Amino acid sequence: MSGAATWISAADVPALYEGAKFYAPAVGDAGRSSLTSWLTGLLEREGPVALHRVETMAPETPCVSLCVLGSGSALADLPPAGDEFVAAIRQIEQLQGVRFGAVYPLAAATVSALVPVAAAAQLGVPLLDADGMGRAFALIHHTAMYLAGISPTPLVAFGPTGDSVLVDARTGARADRLLRASLDTLGGWAALASYPTTAGALRRGALPGTISRIANVGRVLLQQTDPDLLISRLAAITGCRRLGRGRISELEQLSRPSDGSIPAHPSSVVIDETDGQRRQLRIELRSEIVAVFANGELIAGAPDLLCLVDATRGTLATLDNLERGDLVDVLVTPGDAVWYSDEGMAMVGLSFHGIPLDHPRRLRGEP
Amino acid sequence: MLVSRTGEFAHVGVSLHPERSYAVVVHGAAVLPVEPARADLDGTIASAVRTAIGEFPDGPFAVTVDLAPMLLDAITRADSALPRVAVIRVVPRPATDPALARSPAALVERRVARRFTVAGGHDLLGNELCPLDHGRLDEVCAELDAGSIRHVAIVAAGSQARPGHERGVADAIQTAMPGARISAASEYGGHGLVAREATVVLDCALSGVAEQLVDRCERVLSRLPGEFQLRVARGDGGYTTASRIRTMPVVAFGATDALEVCGAAYLEGLADCRVLLSRDGAQVAGEVRHGLAQVSLAESAGIGTELVVPTAVLTPERDVTPSGVPGRMPDVPVVRARHAPELLACVGAAVSSPTSWLDEVAFIESADELRSVRRDAEERATAFVTANGAAPGTAFFAEVSTVAVPYSPAGTVRIRVRVAGTPDIGLTQPLLETP
Repeated sequence: MSGAATWISAADVPALYEGAKFYAPAVGDAGRSSLTSWLTGLLEREGPVALHRVETMAPETPCVSLCVLGSGSALADLPPAGDEFVAAIRQIEQLQGVRFGAVYPLAAATVSALVPVAAAAQLGVPLLDADGMGRAFALIHHTAMYLAGISPTPLVAFGPTGDSVLVDARTGARADRLLRASLDTLGGWAALASYPTTAGALRRGALPGTISRIANVGRVLLQQTDPDLLISRLAAITGCRRLGRGRISELEQLSRPSDGSIPAHPSSVVIDETDGQRRQLRIELRSEIVAVFANGELIAGAPDLLCLVDATRGTLATLDNLERGDLVDVLVTPGDAVWYSDEGMAMVGLSFHGIPLDHPRRLRGEP
Repeated sequence: MLVSRTGEFAHVGVSLHPERSYAVVVHGAAVLPVEPARADLDGTIASAVRTAIGEFPDGPFAVTVDLAPMLLDAITRADSALPRVAVIRVVPRPATDPALARSPAALVERRVARRFTVAGGHDLLGNELCPLDHGRLDEVCAELDAGSIRHVAIVAAGSQARPGHERGVADAIQTAMPGARISAASEYGGHGLVAREATVVLDCALSGVAEQLVDRCERVLSRLPGEFQLRVARGDGGYTTASRIRTMPVVAFGATDALEVCGAAYLEGLADCRVLLSRDGAQVAGEVRHGLAQVSLAESAGIGTELVVPTAVLTPERDVTPSGVPGRMPDVPVVRARHAPELLACVGAAVSSPTSWLDEVAFIESADELRSVRRDAEERATAFVTANGAAPGTAFFAEVSTVAVPYSPAGTVRIRVRVAGTPDIGLTQPLLETP
């Protein structure tokens, strides 16, 4: 990406991939080479994709979000045929009688940050430098757009099997449940086109600058440097800080009561600090890290973005690859401001994950 | 702390390279580099075994060979005579983009002569997504039979959970072409269609080379006095049997890094440490835990894609403290390798243990079910390590990890088990406590 008029070219793909992993460090690299080679090939063939700030688009421009719904492991084992994302968009266009003039990521994180770039290249439309989560949340209505009153429906999930599901529902929560009921049959993952709206609505509803942000973060991560230096560089652009460094001593499954409406069951990671106060850190997981306790005291939690850095390698440690004995840094990065509002906290905060505790930020008297 | 020991017996470690071979004899703390008159495979192994007999006449001996440099050379050499492979993907739909239809790794794709897609496949948990298209399969068999390709790699979506479609394709190919060399991805397990496909393409392509190398090693040993057990180093730094490598040659791929890391740690008498190695003028680091190299499924040996066999991951180590030692891991000692990489690889091969690795996805609904699934995985991994050369009853779990698969239905877990054992060559000494 370069200049005031920003473009995403094939050369940006590695940084986008790494930066997207920082904002959703759940899934490992099993599908990395095929997805990045697909996107790189598309951008080389079709040319760079224009990246527009939402406010530079005509307000009436129809826009639609894209993401990968479901498991990254399922996506790696059954890679896209390549037409799923465009096919999902075309079905909504047909239903609404519109032609979308731009696409944007539902979540500028994990592979969901890359697929809108691929679709923009295939469709020859711009990509918006904005998204709905500023990270990844598990449910499709956990977005800034939904808080701003934008409906996720009608939405289409197009699976790698070639089958698709069109959902129109009265609430976001019902849309999510209807969708998830179909996900296994669609192949374990699906291309999701949702939140058909206009650029004008996104000016007030979407989180701006999030694609540029992951590219910047990705460039830092690609430098492969000492973890301490890496964290200080990341801190300069994300505001992250290290909560502790230690070795993983335990991985626990089914560690809290489970609610079947949320993907992945609760699990925990126990880390023994190797320096500093030698605390025991307990990390609660539910697809992403949702809370960190130190010697039993809550020190960070959703909607904070929490991730682990492999301190021996200076790379992100993805949650599906953890092993006992791994030396990791625990990082906390503030989420976007909207998530610390009362509505945001109610939607994606600790209580949503079954942890009925006040957020440390509130306890410190921060907004 | 457990670490593999060579015990009362001499162990020969051999590293085979295209231009020459290297060997050492290890007996406890004694490490004897071998200087053969002829440094080819035959001369090096013969010289190493004679050294072992001369220095430690009581025997028995084991010879562990690192084939990885030879296999990598066979793949990367421009004039390689490796066979071209036909690939059959069993997925619900063919790729619509050429980049998604092929391997992202040019080195892998260079070995592919033809590609076919047959409709079929399962999801991660083994639920059928699409019936196997027998009509299309018949057409593929007829096309292959009419051509000259006799090496066929088959990968079906979800075959690691339910191999039925993959076996159906393999049976049809075998019937149509009885002499075909068939590799099926379910034999290796693992995750990721692209990684699984790359693994079986290389498996097919390398089968002839691996067999020739193993045959040659066995011929050399058969001409020497005494009895020797031939082992082949695995990518994870352990070893397996020669017969296993004949059927699954990719298991030996990328072994050298793990062997060097383990060799350096052994020479320092450490079972848990961080090892700094030199690579092309730069410094890289690997980790040793319980005497075994820390491994992962990262991109292997620079071939451009992941495989489903674990290998050591060496990461750049640029920043050091004023004392010249990295400060990022204060709780384990740091070893700076002081010997030539070939010697380290030979030592690592000589002191290696039989290992196995299992990486699966399962579905659980209760803690009891989790325990049962984990126990089942542990038992199978233990059976594998015994098949790879471990003495019965000596297996220990180097790693058992169970993690929830993110964004999957609640209850979906990934289980990885890594097992090591004590060599089964009449050695009575078990894995020992480190001093």
